[in-house]
Amino acid sequence: MRRYGVPGLERGAIISGRGGQVDQEDYQSLQRDYTDATDQFAAMNEVLIALGRSSSDPDAVLDTIVESARRLCRSEAAAIFLIEAGQYALSSSVGFSSEYVHHVAEHPFALDRASLLGRVAEDRRIQQIPDVLDDPDFGRQDVQRIVQFRTSVAAPMLLDDEVVGAISLVRTAVDPFDDRELALLEAFAAQAAVVVRNVHLVRELEERGQELGRKVEQLEALSEVGGLVSSSLVLDEVLSNIIMNAVRFSGCDGGSIMEYVEDERCFSVRSAYASSPELLAKLRTIRVDLSTTLVGRSALEGHPIAVADLGAVELDPHLRLLYDDGWRSMIAVPVLRGERIIGALVVRRKTTGGFPDETVEFLETFAGQSALAVWNAQLFRELETKSAELQVASQHKSEFLASMSHELRTPLNAVIGFSEVLLERMFGELNDRQDEYLHDILSSGRHLLQLLNDILDLSKVEAGGMELEPSTFPLRGALEYGISMVRERASAHGIEVSLDVDADLDTLDSDELRFKQVLLNLLSNAVKFTPDGGHVRVAARREGDRVAVTVTDDGVGIRPEDRERIFESFQQGRRGAQSEEGTGLGLTLCRRIVALLGGTMWLETELGAGSTFGFTVPIDGVADTSRHAPSTDADLPVVVVVDDDRASLDLMTAYLDGLGVRVVLARNGIEGLELIRTLTPAAVVLDIRLPGLDGWEILDRVRADDATRAVPVVIVSILDEKPRGMSLGATDYLIKPVARDALVGALRRIGAVPAERESASSRGAV
Amino acid sequence: MATARILIVEDNPLNLKLVRDVLTVSGYEVVAAPSGEEGVTLAQTCEPDLVLMDIQLPGIDGYEALRMLRQNAQLDSVPVVAVTAFAMREDRERASRAGFDGYLSKPISVRSLPSQVHEYLNNGRADVT
Repeated sequence: MRRYGVPGLERGAIISGRGGQVDQEDYQSLQRDYTDATDQFAAMNEVLIALGRSSSDPDAVLDTIVESARRLCRSEAAAIFLIEAGQYALSSSVGFSSEYVHHVAEHPFALDRASLLGRVAEDRRIQQIPDVLDDPDFGRQDVQRIVQFRTSVAAPMLLDDEVVGAISLVRTAVDPFDDRELALLEAFAAQAAVVVRNVHLVRELEERGQELGRKVEQLEALSEVGGLVSSSLVLDEVLSNIIMNAVRFSGCDGGSIMEYVEDERCFSVRSAYASSPELLAKLRTIRVDLSTTLVGRSALEGHPIAVADLGAVELDPHLRLLYDDGWRSMIAVPVLRGERIIGALVVRRKTTGGFPDETVEFLETFAGQSALAVWNAQLFRELETKSAELQVASQHKSEFLASMSHELRTPLNAVIGFSEVLLERMFGELNDRQDEYLHDILSSGRHLLQLLNDILDLSKVEAGGMELEPSTFPLRGALEYGISMVRERASAHGIEVSLDVDADLDTLDSDELRFKQVLLNLLSNAVKFTPDGGHVRVAARREGDRVAVTVTDDGVGIRPEDRERIFESFQQGRRGAQSEEGTGLGLTLCRRIVALLGGTMWLETELGAGSTFGFTVPIDGVADTSRHAPSTDADLPVVVVVDDDRASLDLMTAYLDGLGVRVVLARNGIEGLELIRTLTPAAVVLDIRLPGLDGWEILDRVRADDATRAVPVVIVSILDEKPRGMSLGATDYLIKPVARDALVGALRRIGAVPAERESASSRGAV
Repeated sequence: MATARILIVEDNPLNLKLVRDVLTVSGYEVVAAPSGEEGVTLAQTCEPDLVLMDIQLPGIDGYEALRMLRQNAQLDSVPVVAVTAFAMREDRERASRAGFDGYLSKPISVRSLPSQVHEYLNNGRADVT
């Protein structure tokens, strides 16, 4: 019925690869296995549950019980009711008319003393009514009229002290049941309770299966983001549940579930139920070998092996351990997945004795369930290991690239520099051939340098190390800058570059350098792929709270099959013969940077009609504004902080966080002055030593301008020159390092910070 | 007007040669030191008008060399410009925080180096107030 070969050769290859080099293929194949396993899990789960039902079909079993009870207790009719939603629902009956069945379905028995069933549920013991017509408390004459019964008996079905239903018999004559019959009915009730337990278990198993499915999904999501959150706990929980139910349902006293470790050809105990911690600890230390133990034999032979008396057989180390711990009989059920050994289920008793066929069959069902759980656990663990190794490898790669590009840059500088020296005719004239070759050397050197820079940037983005520097800059200026960088080349080829900016677009709050980098990349591509005398159009449009920048060329367009590929590293579309000029990294990098900036990038192209590369960025702030999120509220008073030191800016921002002001940062004097002029802030926090325009100069200009004359300026500097500051018109003068209270106090006195707007949470955060 | 003297502190002989040749051709007097220590010593005797300081140096680095130069009152007014192959903004910021008067990133532009040097010589110490 089953075939067993050498377990999973192809899987062995993957596992043996664990110690060696990690490669992407291994990882992806693992991930595929994992997905397959998950899919199969869902499918197999359904099959198993269906099997579980048919092999011990609860309805069929209950029918059998009802019929046996009716016959053996000499009554005309019998029925089993299950308590559902606080009342009895008829589950199985024999000897009753269909009228009765319909009637009790419409008028179910309540859990009260009006019916015998209700009383049984309350009293939790078997009882009878010798003659219903003689019972003053009996309230279900409606039923009596239909059935015409006189004597009735009912026994509760108890499950863990809870009444889950009742079995009831009726006689049409007044003929009370004797003690033997009552005892028999109690036994039938107990049997029915077991069936109900079975139903519960199957239902629970079903839920567990779904739960496991959900958890596997969660785990997949986790593994996808490279999270190393331990899932083993979750899976252990599932396995504990499986072994617990297996033990309880089979009526045994304890058990364990083992995982097969293929590398070592042995089993390792994963979870145990009703076993002392000492036993579990011992089980975990011994080696349950595949070839020399009973558990191993059952796995190799592919069927359960039971030992009715452990005292009567030769004991392998595992069985010896069980025997010494007081166990006397056991059954080992292999956990298989196809031809593959996954693990084993071991269920044991403190007493000697065999295992009935139903029990063995049921345990095999459980083993089927656990196969997928263990399999998933194994796959997940490998995924975790691989993820961790991949992360380390990726880190190494980034570091390597960073140091390589530095090492390569130095000699490259010499190549570029000396070519330039000669081309500048610093040491005399060159002939045409010399000039041409030097240009070749120079352009190759620059190309290499660009490649290095792209690699470095890309590795930074991939390692999550690219930090953005948000600032406010004029959009048109940035676009014009980009165009100016390609103008020389464009005009050399007679290419016209035009710019069209929506009138309502002014400044952009983003990372200026990265924005320009993306733009320049698209522009140089566009110029490169536009034929001589063509046209490159740059446009900026407002799209809600975003700006969409597009660069359109007159080139040959990009073939549909290349449209996604060109965004991948080292891929160039077949756009022209000049492919040697690109680094093959530009668009990959652009797309990553745009994503970092909080936008998206796209391509519209038609073969023969040119291409449009576009990207969006938020107008107000890059994606990473969470840190300053409280300060982006447009209605709040503005405080402009001008400081060239990032640490200082961070500190000031933290100081002012939660005070009900919007903090706008400037990193140099010119930018600071521009912001003061455009925003007319409630206060300015000004450093003195600044690149470009220094603090004195800014203060001077702010005071000289009617529009900004009244803006309060708090100088925060390491320079101890308060008299000079105050004489130039500073509102306050603080010397670095400045304490939070000093800064906030100064801003409060000015009125820029509302008195006591500070919330408790923000106070805690500083 | 006397020829301006420029001290180059640079450990890579090729880079040194390039910068020296370009500046010499442009009419500057160039003195060179291959390490931070030697640069600081040489600065005290040769009295440069401008120092071009590599950041990554064997022994003490450019930051430390700058600190030592600044401790010498006699050299306090000499502008010191950082030169580094790290084309990263963090380095530029770090250099400006450390008190360098300017920043040149490698590869240096042969065409614009002479005018950049001219500018640094004219501006003197950038933001000392």
